[in-house]
Amino acid sequence: MDTSSNEFLRGTLKTIVLKLLAEQPATGEAKSRPGRMYGYEITQAVKERTKGEITLSFGALYPVLHKLEQEGLLITETEEVDGRLRKYYSLTPTGNKAAEQKVSDFERFMEAMRTLLLTPPQLATGH
Amino acid sequence: MEKLSPQQVAMLHKHLIHSGSNDALVDELLDHLACDVEYYMWIGLPFESAMQAVLDQANVTAVRHLRDHYQTELAMTDDQLRQASLDDIVFEFRNKAYGAYDLRRAYRITLRNAFIMALSLCMMLMAMMDGISRRTWSYLSPWGAVWLIGLSGLTYAVVSWYLHRTQEQKLTIRQPLSDPA
Repeated sequence: MDTSSNEFLRGTLKTIVLKLLAEQPATGEAKSRPGRMYGYEITQAVKERTKGEITLSFGALYPVLHKLEQEGLLITETEEVDGRLRKYYSLTPTGNKAAEQKVSDFERFMEAMRTLLLTPPQLATGH
Repeated sequence: MEKLSPQQVAMLHKHLIHSGSNDALVDELLDHLACDVEYYMWIGLPFESAMQAVLDQANVTAVRHLRDHYQTELAMTDDQLRQASLDDIVFEFRNKAYGAYDLRRAYRITLRNAFIMALSLCMMLMAMMDGISRRTWSYLSPWGAVWLIGLSGLTYAVVSWYLHRTQEQKLTIRQPLSDPA
């Protein structure tokens, strides 16, 4: 289970990150600033929601975050918290659109997978 | 929730540096691992075991693997690579804010300005010594021309240096402002 779930996770990490950030409530005056999260917060949110079924390692998460930032989907702010530098990520307008797109694409894919898994063998191979 | 002391954070930082983390990631990883240690302490582990658990998880192999994975994922595209200077390539994933990157990038201009300045000062000095030994001075004599060339060379070098400097400052001021926008 562990290796194959890692394999599935690799393809969906971007979707997970974008979805989580898209769900964050906007902050600031007049809700003008999009919600933000930092790396550790994202891993904890994923762990909590999936009840420990999916755990993101830092080794998988940060390359994806930086890649999304490079692509212009995320922007970052760095703040000092408890004497350490903490980097917060939030979605850009393009990132918001990308998040919707990715989630709906993934839902369609899951739907297709579900039908694929449910199809009885005799129907699948019969001509 | 109990927070780590600066000394404890410094221990983690040292571990990360020794494991070969790169400059682009080290601050973020440090915060991540510190949060992890704090979480373990919050569920009841003493500091030593919490630290050990996190260090085992973030061992040399994991950190190196992350660095290599990161560098292949975020490597420059072919287009960027065609435009990049040697300095851009050398300083990829390294700390550019530290100063060495700027020094290297400005190296050619600095060298040129220094060369012009040295030459001009030398010419002016020679012209001045000639003027002193003869006790007469005319801008129309050959030594007067040497003085004038030296003076214009010096002015050019100083103005060029000044313009470069103000431009550089503008860039560094603009960057943090455009960041949160």
